[in-house]
Amino acid sequence: MKSAHKKAVLGKVIVYIILILIAVVMIIPFLWMLSASIKSDREVFQMNPFVWIPENPKISNYKDIWTKIPFLKFVGNTVYLTIVVTFLQLLTSSFAAYSFAKLHFRHKNGLFLAYIATIAMPWQVYMVPQFIMMRKMGLNDKLLAIICLQAFSAFGVFMMKQFYEGIPDDLCEAARIDGMSEYRIYAKIMLPLSKPALSTLTIFTFVTTWNDYLGPLIYLKTQEKKTIQLGLKMFISQYSSDYGLIMAGSVLSLVPVLIVFLCLQKYFVEGVAATGLKG
Amino acid sequence: MPKMDDAQKAAKINSLQEELTALIGAVRTETDSKKKRRLIAKIGEYNRQIDTMKSGKFLSRETKRDLVAYSFIAPNFIGFCVFTLIPIIFAFALAFMKWDGSNPIKWAEFGNFTRLTNDIFFRAALKNTVIYCIGTVPLTMIASLALAIILNQKVIGRGIFRTLSFFPYVASLVAITAVWKMLFHPSKGPVNSILFNLFKVPQKSLPQWFTGGLVLLSMILFSVWKYMGYYMVIYLAGLQGISGELYEAASLDGANTWQKFRYVTWPQLSSTTFFVVVMLTINCFKVYDIAIMLAGGGSGELTTSATVLVYYIYQKAFIDWDLGYSSAVAMVLFIMVLAVTIIQFRGQAKRERA
Amino acid sequence: MKKKFLSVLLATAMLGTLLTGCGDDGTKNDGEKDTGTTPVASTPKPTDSAPSEESNAGAEPVTLRWAIWDQETTAYWKDIKEAYEASHEGVIIEMVDLGSTDYMTVLATELSGDGSEFDVVTIKDVPGYATLVQKNAIIPLDDYISADGVDLSKYAGATDQVLVDGKLYELPFRNDFWVLFYNKDLFDAAGVLYPTNDMTFEEYDALARQLTDTTFGSQVYGAHYHTWRSAVQLFGVLDGEHTILDGEYSAFKPYYEMVLGQEADGVCRTYADLKTEGLHYSAAFSGGDVAMLNMGSWFIATMITNLQTGEYDSGLCGNWGIVKYPHAEGVEAGSTLGTITGLAVTSASDAPDAAWEFVKWVSGEEGAAVMASSGNFPAIMTDEVKDLITALDGFPTDEASREALSVSNLYLEVPYAPNVSEINSVLDSYHGSIMSGEMSIDDGIEAMNTEVGKILAQ
Repeated sequence: MKSAHKKAVLGKVIVYIILILIAVVMIIPFLWMLSASIKSDREVFQMNPFVWIPENPKISNYKDIWTKIPFLKFVGNTVYLTIVVTFLQLLTSSFAAYSFAKLHFRHKNGLFLAYIATIAMPWQVYMVPQFIMMRKMGLNDKLLAIICLQAFSAFGVFMMKQFYEGIPDDLCEAARIDGMSEYRIYAKIMLPLSKPALSTLTIFTFVTTWNDYLGPLIYLKTQEKKTIQLGLKMFISQYSSDYGLIMAGSVLSLVPVLIVFLCLQKYFVEGVAATGLKG
Repeated sequence: MPKMDDAQKAAKINSLQEELTALIGAVRTETDSKKKRRLIAKIGEYNRQIDTMKSGKFLSRETKRDLVAYSFIAPNFIGFCVFTLIPIIFAFALAFMKWDGSNPIKWAEFGNFTRLTNDIFFRAALKNTVIYCIGTVPLTMIASLALAIILNQKVIGRGIFRTLSFFPYVASLVAITAVWKMLFHPSKGPVNSILFNLFKVPQKSLPQWFTGGLVLLSMILFSVWKYMGYYMVIYLAGLQGISGELYEAASLDGANTWQKFRYVTWPQLSSTTFFVVVMLTINCFKVYDIAIMLAGGGSGELTTSATVLVYYIYQKAFIDWDLGYSSAVAMVLFIMVLAVTIIQFRGQAKRERA
Repeated sequence: MKKKFLSVLLATAMLGTLLTGCGDDGTKNDGEKDTGTTPVASTPKPTDSAPSEESNAGAEPVTLRWAIWDQETTAYWKDIKEAYEASHEGVIIEMVDLGSTDYMTVLATELSGDGSEFDVVTIKDVPGYATLVQKNAIIPLDDYISADGVDLSKYAGATDQVLVDGKLYELPFRNDFWVLFYNKDLFDAAGVLYPTNDMTFEEYDALARQLTDTTFGSQVYGAHYHTWRSAVQLFGVLDGEHTILDGEYSAFKPYYEMVLGQEADGVCRTYADLKTEGLHYSAAFSGGDVAMLNMGSWFIATMITNLQTGEYDSGLCGNWGIVKYPHAEGVEAGSTLGTITGLAVTSASDAPDAAWEFVKWVSGEEGAAVMASSGNFPAIMTDEVKDLITALDGFPTDEASREALSVSNLYLEVPYAPNVSEINSVLDSYHGSIMSGEMSIDDGIEAMNTEVGKILAQ
């Protein structure tokens, strides 16, 4: 009995050591980033001796970034894009995924294969035909173009379908016998159950849209429409040696995504198990 | 549907019924399970047709069912079709053409594909991409699954650890590669200075992390680091779905930790694993920006030791404007990804049946 | 049969997409625009907008959309726009900043198909120019040139190197050439005489080694080579006998040997380090530990401005000068590499005449004066222009630096050829392989010969 207890303690200790190691590996680059963001160019590259906080922290980096480029405008655009895209993505793909996971209909496999196959296509392959098409639709240099590009991704459908398949069919069947329509089953049963999946998809979509670079680069040309990533890149090419400033921008661009993650991460904890759904 | 009078209808129904009976007989005698399934599907089809005939309604129950299902798919599918599927079909066709994006398209038959066989850069890109995938996919999968299992247990500060491991995924690639490059800087970076000072590696043979043979290794390490948090989240969500009773039952049977993993966790996660492996493979084959940012340096050109397929696709399409050829390279990429996906698909289907 | 079916299928697919978005083009400035049906024209076509003579003031204003890069950091775009709008009533220049990193890619994507909204585009490099010409995205200017009697000889032969089948599709407004920048303070500290306007490569190499100090903490690099292919490889074309379009590159060998030898001895930063850091040449030179830097004349304006605004520490690099490029034995001093930046009129423009007027003005004497006033090198290099630049506050005051601006032979970094973009990619790739030590010099050059040979044989 005693040795078993000892073993358990030892196991715990090992787990914590591993966790702390991983945490360190994960966090060091960010600490470096944070530290670089308050340094001058010279201090950023100084390795010997290395200091985390320089003697005279250059907080002005965080102020300069708002004036050197229209950072606020970029943030606004990115926030708008991200929110709209995430909302549309959640709505349409959970809707479609329900059908793929829980309904039987003709051409189901064919349609699903079409979705999967497109995930395999690198965007660079069809970027040009897509651009020509979008321009014909009058979407060039419009924020709407990015929304159209991102909101209907096959990825969301694929992911939500995999999650829905994990929910037992019996639940739906019971509801059908009770005379519920499919739409009500989706809204009253599936949607509440899929909170963890939805919050996962929210984070993924949010991050993808927030960090997207090539899409905005091709579609958004005028200054007022540019996004944060374009701004960062603009920064890097214009102030190529000003690493402190670049890092300050990067830190700022990171904050909103982290907030979203922190808000949603508790749903992974609650999870499906907590909803009383047990196989 | 053409109009039929009742007599014709009755005759049709009769003949369908006969075929149906024959089919049912065939199913009974059929031993091969695959064929049997196919026959059963056929029976369903016949039943539907007969139902439609009998009820005389334009919309059968099945059609209605289909319509409901399609109405669920439609909002996403319409957008998906217009903005993704059509351009992709066009890109497919391009692989057999010659086009620079502006001038009239010319038919090239298999010319683009024959050119591939003789192209050193393509071969280098293919080789590097495959090596990168072989290195990254299993490593990331194992790392993220392990992390998810640990962080699914009751440990203090779980939320913080989860957030930390998700950090790298959230960070913009532009910024974070800059950090990595400083950390692994060949002459000034802390990693090499540890090798130099602690492990007494001579200065001349300090590893050059971003050129030559090591660049692929650096790319693999970087992507495992960056994406393991991402797949961990997927695994976490999958783990939530496993019922606690299963573990209790396993405990009662005296299963140890490994056995619990082997007989409860792993099979229960099969659909999540399928998703993770497919997405990982696809994303690995599509690797582009990591290569550019880590090995490309200022001007972003990649040498033959670091070039990857999507970079080559991009270069052919947007620098040389040889869209047909670039589509042909993309087809190779596409077929490889498709093959891996189908193998996975089959594997998962088999597991589910078992 | 099959072919036909496929093309019908394609046409239907594309048509479907056309129909969905027909009509609405949706830009704010397009009151008179009629895009979507504009045929790809190879000749100038009449326009319904006002005639471009500036006297016609009562007419509707013409808006020209002009593609540029890095508006914030490059002052002359705005100078040109303002000067042109001031002298041409009824013309509005609308600048669109496409960023410098992927400029030619974004531009070529933008001009793909028809229906682009740009009238005038800036051409950053010759491979990009070749792309746009082959895509019929820009129009030949010959008819305009002969109609308006533009004298091409003032461009000193630069335009001849970008002729496509005898036709000219761009007019240069900037013409930069490579010189050797050096930090006088470092030479003084080492007690070494300044470089001269007439140096062979052997002398240059010896000088660089003399200045080098590898002591930790007070390092001085005798030379610095940016990661570009041009910075090393193109020493080999200065004899006028070789070009990068040859398909035979053994002439590059001595220069790779020189630079890699310098790397090994700590005379210059290693290529691998530079790639990893992404260190910009300006950061290297302004850091005050680089004695000599071979770079384009565009860096002169950067130096002057950044020293004035205090962006660069004048204690580190404030005392600088320039001399002519070093040359091989038996080659005339002042032979150097050139890069032209040009302007072109798009085939999608619905005001090509007005666009041409703008192109002509910017690349003509008036534009040259605007460019020179900010220390940039216009394509027309007259003595007045040279005086204007050397008289700028902040330009090195020594006689040698003035003299360095006279060029005897100018070879474009990349002259025009139909497949220049592919050749460029191949050379870039193997340049990287040689410099990072993945390949030996001989293997790398051998690979260049084979791969470019394949392209040329096509």
